[in-house]
Amino acid sequence: MELIIGQYVPRSSVIHRLDPRAKLIGVFLYVIIVFLANNWPTYALLAVFTASGVALSNVPLRYIVRGLKPVLFLIVFTFVLNALFTHQGPALFKFGWLELTSAGFIQAVFISIRLLVLIVATTLLTLTTTPIDITDGLEQLLSPLKKLRFPVHEFALMMAIALRFIPTLVEETEKIMKAQTARGAEFSSGSLVKRAKAIVPLLVPLFVGAFKRAEELAMAMEARGYRGDVGRTKWRLLQWQTRDTVLLASIALLTAALVFLRG
Amino acid sequence: MKKMSLRRNITVALLSAIAYLIMYLQFPLPLIPVFLQIDLSDIPALIAAIMYGPLAGVVVEAVKNIIHAFVMGSVIGEAANFFAGSLFIVVSTYIYHKGKTLRSLIIGMGAGTLVMAGVMSVANYFIIFPLYAYFLGFSIEQAVQLAKAANHSIHDLISLIVLAILPFNIIKGIIISILALPIYARLRPRLRTDA
Repeated sequence: MELIIGQYVPRSSVIHRLDPRAKLIGVFLYVIIVFLANNWPTYALLAVFTASGVALSNVPLRYIVRGLKPVLFLIVFTFVLNALFTHQGPALFKFGWLELTSAGFIQAVFISIRLLVLIVATTLLTLTTTPIDITDGLEQLLSPLKKLRFPVHEFALMMAIALRFIPTLVEETEKIMKAQTARGAEFSSGSLVKRAKAIVPLLVPLFVGAFKRAEELAMAMEARGYRGDVGRTKWRLLQWQTRDTVLLASIALLTAALVFLRG
Repeated sequence: MKKMSLRRNITVALLSAIAYLIMYLQFPLPLIPVFLQIDLSDIPALIAAIMYGPLAGVVVEAVKNIIHAFVMGSVIGEAANFFAGSLFIVVSTYIYHKGKTLRSLIIGMGAGTLVMAGVMSVANYFIIFPLYAYFLGFSIEQAVQLAKAANHSIHDLISLIVLAILPFNIIKGIIISILALPIYARLRPRLRTDA
């Protein structure tokens, strides 16, 4: 199982050094303004902006490509759907009931760029920010919700622990699968019912392991003096720098450009 | 704020991580369009809700979908999954906690399945399908045409919902319930929460 999550790529770059809060706000705003694009200049602008982000991050391209793999199907699927089912204007070619119009083709390209840009932006965030920084940033951004008695700290802690243990649990799942295969279980072949049934002897030990791990981890944390949010100090403090303001300013500029250029 | 047990929070976090992993083991159903895929990631949330109450199950659904949204760069599918899963879990474990027996769990999951299927059908008609169509740039007719490939009786959005979304959610609820029962039975001695 290949999962990009937690696959932080340590490099020395401006994007890496950005405050996680700035990156989270930036990606959040970006995901929204992507939908402003509706013609060639605006989509080109988005592509260039995203590409320069990737270039500035010093992250090798193959990591970005790997992040795209799980969603490649969605992109191809949307491309085909848009290309073949948009029946506007004259057909470029016709094959039975299949018909490709130039309007359909352009629409398909636009939507593919939209999806690509969205996914690359979020992938770039997880590739250049450690899970600890992401949850730390989230916790601070959400801290106003504490006034509404929403347990922000507890939620951030749970996110951090979940992210931290995903690779460990992948390993454990593989171990259990091998152990059950050695006993004659089949996970990847057989009928739907058989495969669904095979999940029970996989999940039970996984749950039992998680309960045990939770008990040990809770004890270890309490032994080290963890008592929750109140009075907690931090080793690494987030500091807002000029470059963080620059990022948000450039997003604002991009928004203005998109509004100006869109048709 | 009420002080919460650390062990409970960590257990919920680990169950969320397991739920996130199970999301990748999704599979399509025959006669149902491919964009509806069954995944069993509601089972860890159900276990969390059985142990610590419905809210813990909702937290598992939230954490799992937030991580998934970050990785996939998409939002609508995750939001739909969150609402469907939360509905199922809140209804079924609310009933379960009235009796805390195998019987109350079965009744709860039955009710949870019906509520989930009903509400999600309505939500799909008014919210989810129009949103998807807007974000992915295709019209509802295009999605209907695609669904037609899986089942020829589908000809408009209503028939798509009645013939695909509704049975999909009912089957999903039944599959999850059938798998959850033996898991619950085997974990039962360990589900003492004392937290």
